[in-house]
Amino acid sequence: MALAPFDDVITIDHLTTDPYPIYKRLRAEAPVLRVKSVGRTLLTKAADTRAVKDNPELFSSNDPGTPMERAFGAHTLMRKDGEEHMRERMAMAPTFSPKNLKTLWGPAYEEAAKAYLDRLPRGEIVDLFPALSGPLAARILAIILGIPDSTDEEMQFWSQALIDGAGNFGWADEPFERVDRANKAMNAKIASHVPRLKADPDQSALSVMINADDPIPMSQIVANIKIAIGGGINEPRDALLTILYGLLTNPDQLEELKRTGNWGSAFEEGVRWVAPIQASSRLVTEDTEIRGFEIPKGDVVMTIQASANHDEELFDEPEKFNAFRKPNPHQSFGSGPHHCMGTHLARMMLGKIMLPLIFERFPNMELIDPDSVVWRGFGFRGPLNLPVRLN
Amino acid sequence: MPAITFVSADGDRTTVTAKDGESVMEAARTNNIAGITAECGGAMACATCHVYVAAEWADKVGPASDPEAEMLEFAACEPSETSRLSCQITLGPELDGLVVHLPEAQV
Repeated sequence: MALAPFDDVITIDHLTTDPYPIYKRLRAEAPVLRVKSVGRTLLTKAADTRAVKDNPELFSSNDPGTPMERAFGAHTLMRKDGEEHMRERMAMAPTFSPKNLKTLWGPAYEEAAKAYLDRLPRGEIVDLFPALSGPLAARILAIILGIPDSTDEEMQFWSQALIDGAGNFGWADEPFERVDRANKAMNAKIASHVPRLKADPDQSALSVMINADDPIPMSQIVANIKIAIGGGINEPRDALLTILYGLLTNPDQLEELKRTGNWGSAFEEGVRWVAPIQASSRLVTEDTEIRGFEIPKGDVVMTIQASANHDEELFDEPEKFNAFRKPNPHQSFGSGPHHCMGTHLARMMLGKIMLPLIFERFPNMELIDPDSVVWRGFGFRGPLNLPVRLN
Repeated sequence: MPAITFVSADGDRTTVTAKDGESVMEAARTNNIAGITAECGGAMACATCHVYVAAEWADKVGPASDPEAEMLEFAACEPSETSRLSCQITLGPELDGLVVHLPEAQV
């Protein structure tokens, strides 16, 4: 059996600026491809990405070769398997219960959303990335995590620092210096809330973890909070901007949605179309094979969910934004034991609350020059800007 | 090799032959049953493999566990007393002929 084909032409810059045409070609020509610049074997077909994520024994999340542990100053649950992973995941799970979503976080999000929408100027051009989407994602997360006096700026800075640190595969100095500063600030912020939450417990993630009958170690409680900060701001920020872009460039679909109120479907299509987290890695624990190619123990495969979401075997005209697409078996929240813990929260915040609210407030919102919107990102992807006039 | 019948929200019945030891969700996925999404692949993390067990099978199948019942609250359609996450129902000869009803939506 041969190894998968090898590519030394694709660059990280290509993948960061315009990956979708590359993935389209790979799905057709080389669905299992060793890519030199990434140092990984890329998997671009939906069946393969799902199969990998559903098999944690063979495809482990515990890859010590990544910068994550250095960046976070901790071995986080994202890089664990089996029982230890599940124990750390379950420690935070009570915060995300259906009851809490309905009675606490939904109402808190709605209140924050209205306040942030109130601040937006009507009739002039505003960039929703810095004016709404980023800060609002930061605000609700600070509340849910139990560190509510963190400013939006701090939360966004910390999130980006964690992401850049964990993604620092070039092992450069600057991202680690920045995340070290962020860690110092986050550690202090988290510690400052512990006495309050021990005295007066609530449903926030920090509170449920420190007040548990059988708590996980404090180092892991802090690591969990940081994973949530790294995973819970850029993604909902990007998801909202991507969905708005899709709707504003497809006004006929938007009109139909205003009529039917099926915003949930628009949410699913937005995250399918440009997955906020485009790719994930797994370490191969035993010699195996995918599509007849030998995948040796020790290899690192990269599941490209961005590509799985465009797999022609599952989706008609996948490059088109279709808010009514059905079925929509995207993999933007992953699969298997590491399936995104924020899934229901994201669906509620954006699909049930924000989308109806923003179009009720600004029914004639106008996107200023779609071509001026810059899309960027290989591991994480979304618009860098969304200039609109709010009518 | 138990037989299992999936009844869609529209009333269409599809009967498939499952493997001993596989879950109802896996049997649905293998046979491309449209009304089950199973986004998390069976990790009990997403509540998109929700089924209503037919009344006459409810006792044999049994109720949801506590963590499963908690996850069922996330289901897109209102759960009933016979609701289960199909990834948590393991098939064997005692469930040969099982009938489950599918909700209108999983997401």
